[in-house]
Amino acid sequence: MTTTIASREDIMRRLTLTLAMLGTTAMTAPAFADGHLQIVDEPLELTIHMHWPRAQGYGVGGDTNEPYPVELVAREMTGISLVDATAGANTTDSNEAMNLLIAQGNIPDIVGGHLIKQPVNEFGPQGAFVPLNDLVAEHAPNIQAFWDDHPEVLASITAYDGNYYYIPYLPDGKYGRAWFIRQDWLDTLGLEQPQNVEELEATLIAFRDNDPNGNGVADEIPYFARQWEEVNRLLTLWDARSSGSDTYHDFYITDAGTIAHPYAQDAYRDGIANIARWYEMGLIDAEIFTRGSSSRDFLLSENLGGLTHDWFASTSGYNGKLAETVPGFNFIPFLPPESAAGVRMEEHRRIPVKPDGWAIGHTNDHVIETIKYFDFWFTEEGRLMSNFGVEGKTWNMIDGEPVFTDEVLNSDAAVNSQMYLEGAQIQRGYWQDYRYEWQWTAQAAREGIELYDTEDLLVDQFLGVAFTEDEQAIYDRYWPSLRTYMLERNQAWILGTGDVVEDWDAYIETLNEMGYEDVLEVINSAYVRQYG
Amino acid sequence: MSAPSDSRVARIVDHLKREWQLYAMLLPTIIWLIVFLYKPMYGLQIAFKDYSIFRGVAGSPWIGFEHFDSLFNNDQFLRALRNTIIMSVYGLLFGFPVPILLALMFNEVLNQTFKKSAQTIVYLPHFISSVIIAGIVITSFSPSAGIVNTILGWFGIDSIYFLTKPEWFRPIFIGTGIWQEAGFQSIVYLAAIAGVSPTLYESAVVDGASRWQMMWKITIPSIMATVIIMLIIRIGNILEISFEMIILLYQPATYETADVVNTFIYRQGLQGGQYDFAAAAGLFNAIVAFVLVITANTISKRYSRTSLW
Repeated sequence: MTTTIASREDIMRRLTLTLAMLGTTAMTAPAFADGHLQIVDEPLELTIHMHWPRAQGYGVGGDTNEPYPVELVAREMTGISLVDATAGANTTDSNEAMNLLIAQGNIPDIVGGHLIKQPVNEFGPQGAFVPLNDLVAEHAPNIQAFWDDHPEVLASITAYDGNYYYIPYLPDGKYGRAWFIRQDWLDTLGLEQPQNVEELEATLIAFRDNDPNGNGVADEIPYFARQWEEVNRLLTLWDARSSGSDTYHDFYITDAGTIAHPYAQDAYRDGIANIARWYEMGLIDAEIFTRGSSSRDFLLSENLGGLTHDWFASTSGYNGKLAETVPGFNFIPFLPPESAAGVRMEEHRRIPVKPDGWAIGHTNDHVIETIKYFDFWFTEEGRLMSNFGVEGKTWNMIDGEPVFTDEVLNSDAAVNSQMYLEGAQIQRGYWQDYRYEWQWTAQAAREGIELYDTEDLLVDQFLGVAFTEDEQAIYDRYWPSLRTYMLERNQAWILGTGDVVEDWDAYIETLNEMGYEDVLEVINSAYVRQYG
Repeated sequence: MSAPSDSRVARIVDHLKREWQLYAMLLPTIIWLIVFLYKPMYGLQIAFKDYSIFRGVAGSPWIGFEHFDSLFNNDQFLRALRNTIIMSVYGLLFGFPVPILLALMFNEVLNQTFKKSAQTIVYLPHFISSVIIAGIVITSFSPSAGIVNTILGWFGIDSIYFLTKPEWFRPIFIGTGIWQEAGFQSIVYLAAIAGVSPTLYESAVVDGASRWQMMWKITIPSIMATVIIMLIIRIGNILEISFEMIILLYQPATYETADVVNTFIYRQGLQGGQYDFAAAAGLFNAIVAFVLVITANTISKRYSRTSLW
């Protein structure tokens, strides 16, 4: 019954908004009528390509006949309406859709969505997209203010010609993944949370040998992970690195401020030797390479897994889900153990800028209006709407804080999934507001985030570089093969089919033969050009 | 405008008028071939260009054999090529006879209910998506819960983490392929067997031949033409390994034996958007396949007088 009423309210609201839109001026919608955000006097339509994982088209769930509630209000406030012109609506692969859009040669006014950074930086300098530097400086004070506060983010999206071609989706919040442990297992065995790598090893051995799940069988899997790459995260316990960004196996910024690859460092050799030892000892899931994405579900619900490194929000959710089936289940975040050299590091963090967002196509006849429209989403009203949806519908301002309605917070659907249907949190160029996520973060995760905030755990991220065509050619020639070779050796050493210490010199020699130095050279010259 | 050519045109027009239904039936296939196979060949030129999707095929500059040069200077490509050939040859060696044997065995089954249900069971895996097949394989070979290791355990053999062992990848992959496709491929041979004239068997029975002799002397020789045609087609497709299955099953730990040209192209080219480079690798693959099919056809023509053309 409640859903019927809600959807009827929904329809009514939509109808009101549509009627308001049909009015010649904003007078029919007094809530948004003061007009200070109005960009155009005459209504203006702009076409948009918007392809991202949750919707392949600009409209509710990808249905282009049903405009987002947020879009309807934005039309009212700015005078600009976006009309769908998404290519590749029948594929969920945004890269493919973008290639299709460019190949068909009919680029819409706005090109937005998932993973647009690489294509706009490649085809922007060739003339497919409009450079935004001067436009933003002149017409987009709110975006410019963000750049002034975050110059490194602007540097990271700049193409090799010194221009930038898209306004990115800018995530908010610091932490991504965290270390989680079965606190109830620790309690059963009378152990404390491990504070350093030696204690962690002792804890994992205890999980392996002392039957913390109490079924009389040694079936516990001390360390497990949904992605096999997380086995390399253990490298940080021996002061090596597994990646410099939120992408696995990425380059990183060294202490000297240059770019290098973590898998070519001496610390990596020692780290891998220890990981191989742990694997041999059975402290790491023997099937970590093939168990796949459901391993967290399986190992936690079967009461088998002891420790992992995974996302704060989703991993905390298991305490609620498994409360009945696994009595006493308590899987909570704990501080990263101190490394061999005594450093606590959480290598994974939210990246401050995503390769998603929107750009202006070269055929756009209204670039000034478009950049003003982009800027609208960085105004206070625009930012609130891009994060929380339409005020009065999904949220209200209470004591100066945007607060979701009870209906949104208590719904069966996750808040983000609801927002995607409202037209909020979609991959336009916008600045996320962490208050949106905090409101529906589980208690265990909130406590974990507060715990992580007590220490300085995060490290600088490598935000990527934009290559010139020559640099790109060198990178493309060597890097894919180098990466393949590195990963082959990485798995072989962990599985024990090779000895990292014995093989090391030959490994480094092979990397050099395969062009590692050339790759470092282009990546560092691009880095210096871009970040100064 | 001479008389003979006039009459020839007239003959053709006459022929078309009489047989137009046949040509109409042929038309859709020809259109399909032109649209989906011949027209795209225009794009093959990007293998020799520095291709940009924005500039388009015509607008991208020519760079000669540069992509082929980097291809043949890449050890991983050569390794992938070697793996492709080894896996194809093994696949042909072990995979090609199985559907023929299956068809012969089905033909000998007398109980119709048993025959029908057995056929259905062997056809089934063909209709299951590769993702599910890969899931079944990964589970079956799992060191903790997999049936294979459980059985090995009964004989006191330590469990093996098969899917991370390079030496096990090929047998598992080829075995999976046979299990998945052999049943369905046997249909062609069953059809060929059904086409053998019953009078041959009747006279053989009169002469007192055993079922075994009838199989060797009648069935197999009668379906030999089909077998050879299938073999030539198979050789033509030899380098088209079902790479989605490899992607689902392989790991960096098994690249050594598992990486084939198509997975190499996928990692090197398509994931990085290097369409020109991927096109060069694909074109090379196609040329090798073309040479193979011509060779097989020529050999077959000479020795068995059966050939595709």
